Amino acid sequence: MEMEKWECTACGYVYDPEEGDPDHGIAPGTPFEDLPEDWVCPQCGVGKEFFQKVS
Amino acid sequence: MRTIIVGNGLAGVISAKNLRDLDKDVEIDIFASERYHYYPRPNLIEFLAGNIPLERLFAFPKKWYEEQEIRVHLENSVTKIVPEAKQVEIEEGRTEDYDALILATGAFPSIPPFKGADKRGVFTLRTLEDTYEIIDYLEDHKKVVLIGGGLLGLEIARAVKSRGAEVEVVEFFDRLLPRQLDQQGASLLKAQIEEMGIKVHLGKATEGIVGQDSVEGLTFKGGESIQADLAIVAAGIKPEIGLAQKAGLETDRGIVVNEFLQTSAPHIYAAGDSIQYNGRIWGIIPASFDQARVAAVNILGQQKKYGGTIPSNTLKVVGLYVTSIGQVNPEEGTLEEIRLEKKEEGIYKKIVCQEGMILGAIWMGTRKGVDGLNRLISQKVNVEKWKNALLEDDFDFSVL
Repeated sequence: MEMEKWECTACGYVYDPEEGDPDHGIAPGTPFEDLPEDWVCPQCGVGKEFFQKVS
Repeated sequence: MRTIIVGNGLAGVISAKNLRDLDKDVEIDIFASERYHYYPRPNLIEFLAGNIPLERLFAFPKKWYEEQEIRVHLENSVTKIVPEAKQVEIEEGRTEDYDALILATGAFPSIPPFKGADKRGVFTLRTLEDTYEIIDYLEDHKKVVLIGGGLLGLEIARAVKSRGAEVEVVEFFDRLLPRQLDQQGASLLKAQIEEMGIKVHLGKATEGIVGQDSVEGLTFKGGESIQADLAIVAAGIKPEIGLAQKAGLETDRGIVVNEFLQTSAPHIYAAGDSIQYNGRIWGIIPASFDQARVAAVNILGQQKKYGGTIPSNTLKVVGLYVTSIGQVNPEEGTLEEIRLEKKEEGIYKKIVCQEGMILGAIWMGTRKGVDGLNRLISQKVNVEKWKNALLEDDFDFSVL
């Protein structure tokens, strides 16, 4: 299954699981669903709950 | 082609971003009454709680606007729209011409009509300025009452508590988060909030704020009263429709738009908290985001329809996870409701189903599974076979 991208609805940042978020300790290949609960948007700082799947 | 955007909140700035992503040449000017660049409002709560520094508040650095050639004119309020001339007036009569206009005027806090709301020490929280004022007043006023037990009220309660205040919450309804929870979930939440040392008063209508010049307490209809020296009203928002109304655009509770986000003047679009689409005020971040995109696409001459946004809300109170998605309070007996409660663990889950499809969910005590649930709901996946299993803690959403 191809990993899904998720988009921050407060700023438009797109989380791409293939890239992860290495600056904040998230390894490439980490699906959005497995990000820690306290992970926040690296662009604007809002929480995971403001992300929606890119359709 | 020049697009003018009124307002630099989420809808305004995200419209601009979409316009730029789709078209390198369109001229974009944002006029805003704000003193500050765009900040996502949830960050204000974190700032109020003292969890993040000022520089982490903003969504984009100043240089981003320059790179994107999005001109933001802060503290330049639009005072008038002249649709026939395709012009706006900026303060003392200065005019600007546009080809397309986006109204992203947002909303302001609604204050129920009770006495004493003008006393010193009564606040609302909508802007960074408001937040500064509350932080300042909190210095020597530590007995706080929140009027409103919705998402914002509870989050503010948590934030001011972490600044060392003593906090009480007053809710007009007979339960907390009346729109996001059912009775069972709300009573669990109430117990959890009270365990954190926040006192909750339910079913109480505020009659007035009492005190000489500044807040000294609150009286309820029916006679009871409580003491407080700082009151924050979090009783919902009202769309800012003044400009649209003056320009003769169709308004109701909000600025009325069609599925292309056009107002009654087709070259004027509107998005975000100020709009009314399908009879409804949306007032949630993902909706504003979707609307901003649709408006931008349509302005550039392609056609895209807005079909509404499923509300999904998570309450961010330390140690508590409360998520509410879509329809959570169906009329008795109309839809299937499947529940799981583990009181000792603080877990309560419910899904609302129709013909195997999930229309809404309440998920308390954990966020595990929420992203999966959101996906099942937005993609209308049939879960008939799994509808009981997916409430279990170890359910693997990837099978669906």
